[in-house]
Amino acid sequence: MSLLRVLLPLILAASCAAGCAPRTAYLWGDYDSVLYSHYANPQDSERYLERLGQIVQKAEVEKDRMPPGLYAEYGYALFEAGRPDEAITYYKKEREEWEESQVFMDKMIRNTQRLKENRPGPAPGGNLPPPAGGTTGAAPAGEAK
Amino acid sequence: MSRRGLLFPLLGFLFLSLGCAAAPPKKDYTAFRAANPRSILVVPVVNNTTNVEAPGLFLSTLPIPVAERGFYVFPVNMVKRVLEDEGLSDPNLVHTADTGRLCNLFGADSVLYVSIEAWTAQYMVFSTQVTVEFDYVMKDGKTGDTIWKEHKRVVYAPQQQSGGGSPLASLVAAAVQAAVTKATPNYMPLARQANAEVINTPGVGLPAGPRSKEYGKAPGSGK
Repeated sequence: MSLLRVLLPLILAASCAAGCAPRTAYLWGDYDSVLYSHYANPQDSERYLERLGQIVQKAEVEKDRMPPGLYAEYGYALFEAGRPDEAITYYKKEREEWEESQVFMDKMIRNTQRLKENRPGPAPGGNLPPPAGGTTGAAPAGEAK
Repeated sequence: MSRRGLLFPLLGFLFLSLGCAAAPPKKDYTAFRAANPRSILVVPVVNNTTNVEAPGLFLSTLPIPVAERGFYVFPVNMVKRVLEDEGLSDPNLVHTADTGRLCNLFGADSVLYVSIEAWTAQYMVFSTQVTVEFDYVMKDGKTGDTIWKEHKRVVYAPQQQSGGGSPLASLVAAAVQAAVTKATPNYMPLARQANAEVINTPGVGLPAGPRSKEYGKAPGSGK
């Protein structure tokens, strides 16, 4: 009994130090480690894409705890893997979830579509010039919107 | 001496460890409140050390604590890559570029600039002393003015901490020690801790953003 009195505060302190990280607003998974691994091993882009995908999947279970930027980060990884259609899908999800992202996502969606309609090229920046015209004759219908 | 005599000092240690961080002088948040940013563009980190891994590692640890404070944080890796495509692959160029133009490019309200000033592990016989040091500056996209800044220096010499202090502090120190005394130190826990202290310390940290429950409350009131 009295031993318990002595031990209890210690146990509380120990369990707190070990595991009482306060509940986070968002479900980050191991996002920071995933990013860091990507910087440490840039050639391992498949693993990066896969791990980001896993975080997205887990966070989607609790929709209101989807971290800001995560849909877009995953979308960009998809783009880099040569999957522009899926990239656009995730840019749209980001835009829908976070109105703060609208300007950036609009730009990325436009540029990704433009690149897709031509051919895989450099990654889309914010201010890419319009694609060199005339190669396919009339502008594709999608471009006119 | 009764058991009770043991219990109270222990409880005392516990309370101290939870609540006795020395209160730093409070900051003036007038400019921050006026700018009232909703979104933060975290740009690549400037590295003023010789450690080549430091900027990538540190950039990786920034989005979580900043977003948890209640802001929309732009996807850091995507932002980094888009900046590279814009010809800004050197973080120094990003940090000296016009804040307003940077914000326009992404539709951001503000920019968080971080630079690493020290990142060293000094190997000694029984332990490793690790020093990390950072500068944080946040600027408003509309005016370009600095709306928040902080400097952080963290030194870990685990050997010196084992003598006294609270059980909680000792446990944390032990965890950090385990991380940094390996042949290649793992700086991740240090970077996370530096960020958490800088961003969350009431009265000097980053004020809560619009997506936080604490938004609009007086800074430091949670203390």
